[in-house]
Amino acid sequence: MSTPVDIDQSRQGLGGVLLTLLAYAVALLMFFPLFWMLLTAFKTEQTAVSLVPQLFFTPTLDSFREAMAQGSTYNHYAWNSLVTAVGSTLIGLVLTIPAAYAMAFYPNKRTDFTLVWMVSTKFIPAVGVLIPIFLVYRSLGLLDTRFGLLMLYTAMNLPIMVWMVYSYFRDIPKDIIEAADIDGAGVLQTMVRVILPLALPGLASTALLVTILAWNESFWSIMVTNHEASTLAAFIASFRSAEGLYWAKLSAGSVLAVAPIVVLGWCAQRQMVRGLTFGAVK
Amino acid sequence: MTEAMSSIESPNRSGGPPRGRATRVRRQRVRAAWLFLSPMLIGLALVAGWPLLRTLWFSFTDAELNDLAAARWIGFENYLLYEDGIWYGVLADPDWWNAVGNTLYFTAVSVSLEVVLGVIVALVLNAKFRGRTLVRAAMLIPWAIPTVVSAQMWAWMLNDQFGILNHALMVLGVLDAPLAWTADANLSMWAVIMVDVWKTTPFVALLVLAALQMLPSDCYEAAEVDGIHPVRVFFRVTLPLITPALLVAVIFRVLDGLRIFDLVYVLTSNSASTMTMSVYARQQLVEFQDVGYGSAASTLLFLVISLIAVIYLYLGRRQLGVSR
Repeated sequence: MSTPVDIDQSRQGLGGVLLTLLAYAVALLMFFPLFWMLLTAFKTEQTAVSLVPQLFFTPTLDSFREAMAQGSTYNHYAWNSLVTAVGSTLIGLVLTIPAAYAMAFYPNKRTDFTLVWMVSTKFIPAVGVLIPIFLVYRSLGLLDTRFGLLMLYTAMNLPIMVWMVYSYFRDIPKDIIEAADIDGAGVLQTMVRVILPLALPGLASTALLVTILAWNESFWSIMVTNHEASTLAAFIASFRSAEGLYWAKLSAGSVLAVAPIVVLGWCAQRQMVRGLTFGAVK
Repeated sequence: MTEAMSSIESPNRSGGPPRGRATRVRRQRVRAAWLFLSPMLIGLALVAGWPLLRTLWFSFTDAELNDLAAARWIGFENYLLYEDGIWYGVLADPDWWNAVGNTLYFTAVSVSLEVVLGVIVALVLNAKFRGRTLVRAAMLIPWAIPTVVSAQMWAWMLNDQFGILNHALMVLGVLDAPLAWTADANLSMWAVIMVDVWKTTPFVALLVLAALQMLPSDCYEAAEVDGIHPVRVFFRVTLPLITPALLVAVIFRVLDGLRIFDLVYVLTSNSASTMTMSVYARQQLVEFQDVGYGSAASTLLFLVISLIAVIYLYLGRRQLGVSR
């Protein structure tokens, strides 16, 4: 893509170099905390808290071993994260696809209102619904269950999912639906055979984004689970109280929790912008 | 139902199947559309709408967490009550107003910084240079990782004894003695803002970058031919064109900022100097187990957010309309 600054750059040699340096500096600043965490994770607890922070040291895997060894807790929490993130995404897609389909291809007077209402549920502060949800979950026996957490994540991500899928469906020309109509295809048939294959890339990136969001969620995981269904995010948050100041171990745990998601995030960078702005920016 | 039907866009005005069939097909479509929509709407209403109403109801009672059955209706007493010459209730609680002030301060400062830095970063990333893809990917890291993790990470870097930040600043000669970033009442809010800016500037930058890449290049060429200074070009051409994208970024950041919880909670816990509205409400609800009072605070928080969102959308409606 040819952009204005491209033109400037090719002309101004010195300015170009300065700009490049600035870009590297910004990237370094953004990356440094993660780098430092990674470094700390490979230190022993003693080197981690040496009064002069060490940049060069003999790396050790002890912290990783310890973080993972506590009665295989890491695997337990990682499994919970995986089940709740992927499960909520799948259930979300099942609810989202028909809804977005109806709104994109058969809009009526209430469609705009529905879309705005969905965004407005995002104004709700989580603490504002904490107690009612806690009470319902207690009486239904859903506290500290993976299923309970999974349902909360589904609801949390529904507005974003519907908006995203809706915006992808809207990009599909209406003629295709009309053609399917004329050929006598039923609604379900049109959706499954015609629309879904066309929207597959969009659906995939939606799924990727909400999986990341669910994986990173911590408030509900801390509030409605205890141990049985806790996710990695809750595990990391609990470090402070339970483990005192074991920084190397905390860092190792964090690295393990972050690694899968950073990889996914890199694959989905463009889609994340679209999703987080409810399709306003493509 | 009929109303909904009549407003459905007719799929083919001319040259479609016979009229009778078209109506039947259309009716079938409308029914299917509602059938398709309802599971999602019901699901969302159950998880988002109903609990909110229940919180609203709790806010008018003296409910306590360990004995909710004994809750009595007490009207507006949780909000404001005048008794024996003393004002009670959330609205008379200085801690609440402190939390409101903190939240507004945090939101205003962090969103302003994020917008300014985000635009600068986006302009830089929009330029062509070696390793641009890698730099863009690195930019994304801060918000691809969970807030609790980045909060812990920063807590470690900001640690007063062993933190790298104090060490770096002392080596550079900026500081004489280490600072207790997260514990010192004067600094902790800035620590929170700093981490939030680090975490979400990339979000703003990516949004602005997306807008920058859609700009037409011919007005820039014209400006260059006319020899207009790049800074002026930015303020006269670029900025007006990316304003819609900026407004979208701002509303999302403002809504997130007003609800901020996890970052503050992990970094500074319940400290008064950083207590936000969400942290205040959680403390009342969970730690003091005062469901009625906490619900009143939650309701007020929701009202504040809605009010700001509505005002913002109303003021920015013309600009936001452009971005659609």
